[in-house]
Amino acid sequence: MMKKIIRIFRKDATIATRDAMLIYIIVIPILLAIGILFFAPGVTDSAVKVAMFESDAPAHIEYMENYVQVEQFDSMKEIERRVGKRDDVVGIVPVNEGYEIIVEGNEDQSAIESAEVLNTLFELGATRENTTAEILDFGKTVPPLKTKLVNMLILMVIMLAGMIISLGIVEEKSDNTISAMNVTPVSQNGFIIGKSLLGGFVALGSIVVALLIMGYFDINWLMILLVGLTSMILTFVIGFIQGLGSDDVIEAAAGVKMTMLPIAGSIAGYELLADKWQWTMYWSPFYWAYKANDLILSKAADWGTVLICIAAVTGLSMAIYFISIPKIRKGLS
Amino acid sequence: MISVKNLSYSYSNDEKLAVKNISFEISKGETFGFLGPSGAGKSTTQGILTGLLKHQMGDVMVAGYDMKKVQNERFNKIGVSFEQSNVYSKLTALENLKYYADLFDGPTRDPHELLKIVGLDGRENDRAGEFSKGMKHRLTFARSMINNPELWFLDEPTTGLDPAIAATIKDIIRAEKAKGTTSFLTTHNMYIADELCDRVAFIIDGEIKLIDTPKSLKQKYGKKLVEVEYVKEGQLYKETLKTVEDADRQKIADIVKSYDIQTMHSKEATLEEIFIQVTGRELI
Ligand SMILES: Nc1ncnc2c1ncn2[C@@H]1O[C@H](COP(=O)(O)OP(=O)(O)O)[C@@H](O)[C@H]1O
Ligand SMILES: [Mg+2]
Repeated sequence: MMKKIIRIFRKDATIATRDAMLIYIIVIPILLAIGILFFAPGVTDSAVKVAMFESDAPAHIEYMENYVQVEQFDSMKEIERRVGKRDDVVGIVPVNEGYEIIVEGNEDQSAIESAEVLNTLFELGATRENTTAEILDFGKTVPPLKTKLVNMLILMVIMLAGMIISLGIVEEKSDNTISAMNVTPVSQNGFIIGKSLLGGFVALGSIVVALLIMGYFDINWLMILLVGLTSMILTFVIGFIQGLGSDDVIEAAAGVKMTMLPIAGSIAGYELLADKWQWTMYWSPFYWAYKANDLILSKAADWGTVLICIAAVTGLSMAIYFISIPKIRKGLS
Repeated sequence: MISVKNLSYSYSNDEKLAVKNISFEISKGETFGFLGPSGAGKSTTQGILTGLLKHQMGDVMVAGYDMKKVQNERFNKIGVSFEQSNVYSKLTALENLKYYADLFDGPTRDPHELLKIVGLDGRENDRAGEFSKGMKHRLTFARSMINNPELWFLDEPTTGLDPAIAATIKDIIRAEKAKGTTSFLTTHNMYIADELCDRVAFIIDGEIKLIDTPKSLKQKYGKKLVEVEYVKEGQLYKETLKTVEDADRQKIADIVKSYDIQTMHSKEATLEEIFIQVTGRELI
């Protein structure tokens, strides 16, 4: 049976190379990854941003720029306004002989500490050459905005995988080949698995390539791939149902795009809701996937938490799968 | 090879039956024809026998398998050619056959050879999407032989094909029969039924009206006929008259006496004429 499943996958891959839409879907995530890398250079810079006076000592500004993103202002008012904005910016202003750190209070603690430590190092006369990299690592190596963009990209890839499946099913439908499949020794389960492989491999491949392009070499790959695989269950179910219910490519793609809604909702929920309201998102497998990816990408994940997320994604997706399977089976016969 | 008892089928799962309580047996090596006009229930019957339509009522045994149970491995012994061609339009003719061959467990036939016998040699590497309707039909037909089936289902194997290609298809079916393949063939073309089938079933409105060999049918129902072409008031007329009926005999005499005869010959009743006699309906 395994051989036949692989054969179905190989056939789908051959067809994919001849379908403009599929090639498009496969290439998009890679292009987006490159886009994030090149057109938003700030994103890949340090997580820590500081606001300083333009009139500060050039050596001081230059020193800080070696390690963090420095924004320069010419009045105290402007610095305070900048610090008051939503993102994590720490103000460093000269007072008397030394410097004062200005914070809003809601900044990431590590950002504040980083700015403080850096500034102290400057005052102590430490240079890049006589400082070890570890000191400047501050425990938080990956900038949060980049993590979030990459995380969104991963969920998008998973949605696209559902679209690939949907298109593959529409292809079989329009050629009327499902009836031909049904008079071979291949079981319906074998067919379903075979038809899932292309979407699965493409998605995993795109995730790996996108992560490598953006420089995530030393994350926990096993965790990322496990979360990726489990979050695909749901988009696959949606892909099958949409494919079977649609008569053409556009209709199928539009249907799968609807999963954007819960995905975007889950991301927004995770990012914006206060801790005590996070539970309102627990119904969404995408919420758990996003959460797990967030921890893994910022290298703050432990297996316990990740496994809880994976279990939640799997459990919720499987529930939807079992509710939908009679519908899928009916559509395939 | 096939045993069907009191089979009924409803698409809407109610009293509206597309196939009504039919029964028949097909023995090994036999070519069995389902002859009937379009909408009679031929494809529906094939659908149930191949398992594409879910078994509802009656007992159906196909190639030793009870159709009430799902056993996919039975398809290793079965070949199915569809009324509507269904091949992957983005794959070439050869890729279509190779892919399909890999889905079966036993030895399969050489795709090149199959493409050759249906006249698609030279087009192996063209995508099926670029094929004409007739070519796609031939590809579907060729594919149905890929697993050396013991039991072969052919739904309207020559419909819509030009005569030369239809003749090729008929030759292939004869050759398979010579190898001992059992065939279930549906058609609304009486020539096909007459030429290829050991026995035919007349089916209309989901019911089998009779089952017999073409030869015995002609003996039972076929009356001597005279086909005459004559010119009357400058126009050509053609009539088929029965030599056993008085009114027709009188008419023949009148025509011979009064008009200019172009051609005149006696002939046997065709299966189509017998079908009309038995069912009161035409084969369209
Ligand atoms: N998918 C279907 N859904 C509902 N009715 C159908 C379907 N397919 C065929 N029928 C009906 O069943 C009857 C038999 O059709 P069919 O078996 O295709 O006839 P044949 O093959 O002899 O031309 C017809 O009345 C047809 O309208
Ligand atoms: Mg039919």
